[in-house]
Amino acid sequence: MKSIELLGKGEEMHGRAYIKLSADEIEESIKKLKENGFNHFVMLSCVDWLDKGKFELVYHMWNYEEKEHAMLSVDIDRNNDVMKSMSHLFPQIETYEREIHEMYGIKFEGNNRLTPFLLENWPHDPPMRKDFDSKKFVKQMYESIPFIEGDENEGI
Amino acid sequence: MGLHNGDKMMRYEEWSKLARKASKRSLWMVHFCTGCGAIEMPPVMTSRYDMERFGIAPMATPRQADVLLITGYLTVKTLRRVIQVYEQMQSPKYVIAFGSCTINGGMYWDSYNTIKHLEKYIPVDLYIAGCMPRPEGIINAFLELMKLIDEGKARGWERYQKYYDKYKENQRRVFNFEVKEEEKEEKEQKREKNEEH
Ligand code: SF4
Repeated sequence: MKSIELLGKGEEMHGRAYIKLSADEIEESIKKLKENGFNHFVMLSCVDWLDKGKFELVYHMWNYEEKEHAMLSVDIDRNNDVMKSMSHLFPQIETYEREIHEMYGIKFEGNNRLTPFLLENWPHDPPMRKDFDSKKFVKQMYESIPFIEGDENEGI
Repeated sequence: MGLHNGDKMMRYEEWSKLARKASKRSLWMVHFCTGCGAIEMPPVMTSRYDMERFGIAPMATPRQADVLLITGYLTVKTLRRVIQVYEQMQSPKYVIAFGSCTINGGMYWDSYNTIKHLEKYIPVDLYIAGCMPRPEGIINAFLELMKLIDEGKARGWERYQKYYDKYKENQRRVFNFEVKEEEKEEKEQKREKNEEH
């Protein structure tokens, strides 16, 4: 596959190129792919590997001529969840980073628009982290609120 | 004009009975399209099920509407808007809630972001069970609501006035839910543990 040849590593996985990179290599690699036909940045996704203590960020890119999907994967430490922002390469990355910051709490250095995105007034832990106990949270937040007393057909 | 109080009361009763009889045949609805139920509304409105034969019509603004349809799950963020819409409507006003999500959370029972029981925040006159109810169910609910209005049993809006403080308190609690002290401590412990590793 073209992306694997370009970057000199990676493997084919279900018809896509899966390329494991370190955090320092990612900027160069995205640039290189962008210059060589991978001009569609599809999305940035994040996986929380709780037992390995890692977050995996996956940069998905698409090449229209070759019809090739490349996934650039980076592991970052769960306790030191900082990553360099890539939004200068593709402007849409800014929005993805904003979402991941909200849902996983990862800080992207260089992205100064990490403001609340989908959630409103959210002072709690980022909800998509695996150690966010959503059942307990539901109990505390929603189930603790009482029903309104009285008969439902009752008027004033 | 020389009428006794009792007479006035009786007149009021009679007139409101008449008003209810008339208004139940012209329900204007504002459908708050959240969740999956919005997609069930077009067949109900258009020629297949044709809700207008019962005098039900969609209305563009809440101020002129009688019925508020909540068509599925609500996030806390949407609930805030729903309450704004509900409070803009003029009495008498009715609420129909669709699907199991509004009844007890449905398939989002453990979601961090959707409310579980709609009736804790605004009064609901009628629930339609199902995930999602079919158009027949919706038409059926409207007919049921008409019956309730006729019998003077659809009085959610009166409940909202009567227990206003309690509804407001519940709304405030869900909007400004804060992490409790013990939870904060737990978080601290977790962090320390992580750092030790
Ligand atoms: S009850 Fe089912 S169909 Fe309705 S909003 Fe919930 S999940 Fe969707």
